[in-house]
Amino acid sequence: MIPAQFDYKAPATLDEAVALLNSDLDGAKILAGGHSLIPAMKLRLAQPQLLVDIARIKSLAYIREEGDQILIGATTTHYQLESSDLLKQICPLLPECAKSIGDVQVRNRGTIGGSVAHLDPAGDWPAAVLALDADLVLVGPNGERTVKAENFFVDLLTTDLQPGEILREIRIKKPSGKFGHAYQKVPHPASGFAVVGVAVHLTLNDDGSCKSAGIGVTGVGVKAYRAKAVEAALAGTNLDDNAVGAGVAHVCDGIDPNSDLYASSDYRCHLAQVHTRRALQAAKARAQ
Amino acid sequence: MKLEGTHELDAPRERVYACLVNPEVLQRCIPGCERLEQTAENTFSATIKTGVGSIKGVFNGTARLEDLREPEHLRLVVDGKGAPGFLKGSGDLDLASTETGTKVAYTADVQVGGTIASVGQRMIQGTAKMMATQFFTSLGAEAKTAMGEPPPQHGFFRTALRWFSGWVRRLFRS
Repeated sequence: MIPAQFDYKAPATLDEAVALLNSDLDGAKILAGGHSLIPAMKLRLAQPQLLVDIARIKSLAYIREEGDQILIGATTTHYQLESSDLLKQICPLLPECAKSIGDVQVRNRGTIGGSVAHLDPAGDWPAAVLALDADLVLVGPNGERTVKAENFFVDLLTTDLQPGEILREIRIKKPSGKFGHAYQKVPHPASGFAVVGVAVHLTLNDDGSCKSAGIGVTGVGVKAYRAKAVEAALAGTNLDDNAVGAGVAHVCDGIDPNSDLYASSDYRCHLAQVHTRRALQAAKARAQ
Repeated sequence: MKLEGTHELDAPRERVYACLVNPEVLQRCIPGCERLEQTAENTFSATIKTGVGSIKGVFNGTARLEDLREPEHLRLVVDGKGAPGFLKGSGDLDLASTETGTKVAYTADVQVGGTIASVGQRMIQGTAKMMATQFFTSLGAEAKTAMGEPPPQHGFFRTALRWFSGWVRRLFRS
């Protein structure tokens, strides 16, 4: 439980952090909340030579409204998102998702950017940012670029972040009109990680029919994904039990569900269907 | 743990088979393989430095090819260990000709132990799938190259896209 030897730097600015990260592309690793990286280092599954701590860059933790967007800094902690009055009003999916993560100690340290960049197959945030169709702002030695969450999540623990790049900000289009949010999760009893987690961002037409549904699913596949077949099946329907039932049957389409000691792939897929249905029903009930 | 899957390769079965039993080709195709040496007939010793995300490890081990029935079947028996844990098991590969190339079907039974199994259990299957895909993608490219066609560039689209976006960015900056 003692990590291998490593160097530690706490830069004061993001530019410095990028420079440090690029000084040793092979051995340097970004440290944010450290709630995935440090356990892996203690078990010596990860042995970075240099940790670049960005959690101390104060200007990187924020939640603010700008025009029709919500901007969230990468090192904003789960607890800051959970307790944000602004988000509770304009984007309640984020506080609801934050509340379900780990325990209070984890939420006080762990960050949304860390979770999204680490892409644990059972992490909660990837599902939420997919449901909200977020944009992710990455900064590297050659400047910034913006990637859709959907394109950012590449494979197991693998994102579109290139060596030398840091996730700086998460941008979400402010939900408007008649919308409802819900996050439904089956936590693993020991770790609190999602055996299955489903985030729903539902918008309704004036007559109560489904205008669009954003559905992010975590824990089921090797990475979080958007349940596009369900989204398409629901669009335009009146979201009654039949329509929702028919839609959620497609939640594992094209996915090879994980199987481990706790849940077989069939059971996971079943859980995904049940919880997608519950999340849709909750989101519909909340839509106003 | 049982693993199974199929991969379609864009090269004839004989070529794919020849690549599968060629240590030089295997070294290039196995993700993170730093050393692969033949120690006896159909027996190899290897060092593989691999991992996903921040989780990385070095494994040393041996691999043995058995039950060789060219060009349709072979069996691979592996035994390796490293700081994060150990791995041993065997897998059967079956090659079938298709209209466009070769379909490789594999079934394997692998035991994984040590730290990686006790804490990473929920990710082992995903890691295995990802590495199998990388391996067969490279193998398909090798088999095609061996036929005298130019090798497909890995990640060509990403390279092109990044070049293009960099170009657009420069255009707007100047």
